[in-house]
Amino acid sequence: MEKVMRKLSDSILDKISIDFFRNQVLKNAYGNDDTFIAKLDPRMLLIWYVFFALVPWFVSDIVFLLGCFLLVFITTIMAKVAGLVLFLFGLGVFSQTGYLFIVSLLFGGNIETVEPLLILTLKVATVSLASVTVFSGLDPDRLSDGLMWYGCPERLAFSISYAYRMLPMLMEEFQNILLSYRLRGNAPDSTTLFGKVKYLIYQIQVIIHSFYPLMLNTAKRSRTTVEALELKGYRYAAVNKEVKKMKLSALKVTYQDFLFLAVSFLWMAVVILIDTVIFSI
Amino acid sequence: MERKQTATQSQKLMVFILTMSLYGLATLFTELIPKFQIGIVEFSVEYFLFIPLVLAMLFDPISVALGAATGELVFSEIMLGQFGGLGELEKFVTVTIGVYIAGRLVRNPKNQKLVGIAAISGVIIQQFLGMVVDILKVQVAVQDFESVPGLPESVFVTEGFSFLNDVLFSGILFCLLPTLFLVPKLYGKIEPLLGMQPRTEKTALGAINLKVIVSSLIAFAFAILAEMLAESGLSLIDWEAGWAESKMAFAVGMIIAGILAIMIIMVMKKKSEEVHS
Repeated sequence: MEKVMRKLSDSILDKISIDFFRNQVLKNAYGNDDTFIAKLDPRMLLIWYVFFALVPWFVSDIVFLLGCFLLVFITTIMAKVAGLVLFLFGLGVFSQTGYLFIVSLLFGGNIETVEPLLILTLKVATVSLASVTVFSGLDPDRLSDGLMWYGCPERLAFSISYAYRMLPMLMEEFQNILLSYRLRGNAPDSTTLFGKVKYLIYQIQVIIHSFYPLMLNTAKRSRTTVEALELKGYRYAAVNKEVKKMKLSALKVTYQDFLFLAVSFLWMAVVILIDTVIFSI
Repeated sequence: MERKQTATQSQKLMVFILTMSLYGLATLFTELIPKFQIGIVEFSVEYFLFIPLVLAMLFDPISVALGAATGELVFSEIMLGQFGGLGELEKFVTVTIGVYIAGRLVRNPKNQKLVGIAAISGVIIQQFLGMVVDILKVQVAVQDFESVPGLPESVFVTEGFSFLNDVLFSGILFCLLPTLFLVPKLYGKIEPLLGMQPRTEKTALGAINLKVIVSSLIAFAFAILAEMLAESGLSLIDWEAGWAESKMAFAVGMIIAGILAIMIIMVMKKKSEEVHS
């Protein structure tokens, strides 16, 4: 028990290291703009995404779902997604359905329960991997441009661009505040089990306390941001069609994009063929 | 100065950005603070909902609510690449409704009791709506939901249990207590930074009326509709029935079309490269 607890708290402390996290997020956001996926036109990629985000929900055919899954799995590898994201994805998918399966066993479930759950898992996994490919593989600015082209609210496009630029700064500031709280505070002794619990509570308390100065600082910063935006006439530009046109003129569809869509299409066609062959036998 | 607490457009944008960055940052952390389970009780820092709750009690509630939902969407879903498509709409709507109602409940941020009640009801509303959607989601995704042994009960139990767990654990520890701590501390201090008057009994937007409830319900129905799209889609896109006999021919046709498309694109690409060089 003691060992398990130590392992547990060690792994938690490792995870909480903000530096590690910041690196992963930054890597995910900025680190892979030279992949094949990142170079594709965001509009085409979004069409591709809509297919793989919607269709798997409607189909319960295992072969078809497996085919979809394999394809998005390959594109995820091509997009060179950061490890943390993939880990979180795996955790999310399997904790959800695995937990459901174990509980359903308690209520008299059996092997038969596995099949629908497997289908559910495949559906969830396919849809999330497709989104990992698109939203992680694409440059944030290109993504928000693509969304804007489809008439997404300007607010959302703005939020995405803003978030990517501000996040490193925000994280650093949060870390600084957190560290200064830790410097001034006296962390409880964490050798015993009771001490560990107290230590965890103390950590959470520090995090919550740090939000007080962070809130005030961010309030000041967002005022500066908005004032700077207003000076440039942001609110009028946001609804102006001509500005939008200028902004989106950088987007260009190339043969590469059509090729990507065509290959995906071919893959799905082959999968459907295999599916029918299996069923006709 | 007995105007109602209405903000100018740019102040609303400030509040939006403020909430978005703060809540977005917080949700990023909750994504990676691991959950640990003691027995069947799951101790998870489910979310830092206290941030939008606090801000909704001090500022314009609708900007805060939308900012929080957008922040979560952008920071923890899109940036981490965990965007779940239509499913995220549900979270967006439930967070918006929960935070907005909690913000409207508080007429005077100095009233501790009211702040506490508003904070916990915001959590309960958000979690309850989320639970309803989750149950519906599994029912829709798994065909013949009722006929799979043990599945219906287990879904109701796991969802109901996680609802109670979230409200009692995360709700009290991470929403109620921090809100009670932060609201009086920030009241009167953070508003001037955005060039605003603190909210008082007289300048509050007024109690929750029928309009708020009705529009929340409509928004929620919309969210459910998005989830239920799957079910209606089942009959719309019926993969089995439509071309059951000629499925093989159809698939072969699709393959040929795909190969042709690739070949044509390759040729066109080659040609355009020749022209450029």
